Amino acid sequence: MQKAKRPNQGVADEDDFVLVDRVLAGDRRAFESLVRRHERRVFRVSLAVLGNAEDAEEAMQDTFIKAYRHLGQFRRESKFTTWLTRIAINEAIQKRQGRRDFVSLDDSRGERALLMPRRTESWHADPENLYGKQELRRIVEVAIRDLPAIYREAFVLRDIEEMTAEEAADALGITVGALKSRILRARLLVREALAASLQVPPTLGKRILHAAEGVGISVAIRLMRAVRKEV
Amino acid sequence: MKKTLDCKDVLENLSSYVDGDGSAELREALEEHIAHCRRCRVIFDTTRRTLKMVLDVDPFEVPLAVSARLYARLETVLSEVS
Repeated sequence: MQKAKRPNQGVADEDDFVLVDRVLAGDRRAFESLVRRHERRVFRVSLAVLGNAEDAEEAMQDTFIKAYRHLGQFRRESKFTTWLTRIAINEAIQKRQGRRDFVSLDDSRGERALLMPRRTESWHADPENLYGKQELRRIVEVAIRDLPAIYREAFVLRDIEEMTAEEAADALGITVGALKSRILRARLLVREALAASLQVPPTLGKRILHAAEGVGISVAIRLMRAVRKEV
Repeated sequence: MKKTLDCKDVLENLSSYVDGDGSAELREALEEHIAHCRRCRVIFDTTRRTLKMVLDVDPFEVPLAVSARLYARLETVLSEVS
């Protein structure tokens, strides 16, 4: 299955190169166009690393200032977005390390253990009808924001900014294998968080039948009879 | 010989399945498992829906005030640099 693409996505890389040329030739308005095209991406990436909007705002400003100052060093071996994202991640990581409340984010223990999904009921067919678009967006944002930072970064680069696994790994300075292991865990964690709001509560009979997959059908039937007597 | 997978193997390959990576043989083995395992089927389906929903709601806008302060700061700093 191909991943769904946002319809308005796909800012052409050639357009970025043209704008870069114009900035280098002294056209400051062209830089404003570059900022407009990419401010959301830079904000999201900064937010993913830092976890709060105040720090992300500062990191975003510093990222664009740095990009402007170093634009002459952009070699066009990569997309402009990859180059800019790398600056954004470095700025944000530096800021995070300078924060007084910064604690080491080593989560290698959790990374080795695969998360076993706990919420395994199917979901409502039309969640937007259930919550409305704004509320649904809030639910999604909370689920992502609550991820531990290493999973949040991977998820935002791969599943929101739609970078390839190789691009995202490169931007984060980790191996593709590590990126893939983080992304799997991140996806399962976001899924688990959304399931809390979106899954259909099972009926009692259904819950017992599901349990029967583990204990065997005859035990389940006896259990169901016992429950009926109780109720 | 056909490869059979348990639920843990299936979960470990969830990402490559939803990303459309992996060999045809692996996809076939995964599909065969989820056809018979309700739990894995729900996890696959809801993970796919999770990713689609994330793209649909397009989370984390830049607040207007944050954007305005960015342009104001750039205006000041860029005129100093030039």
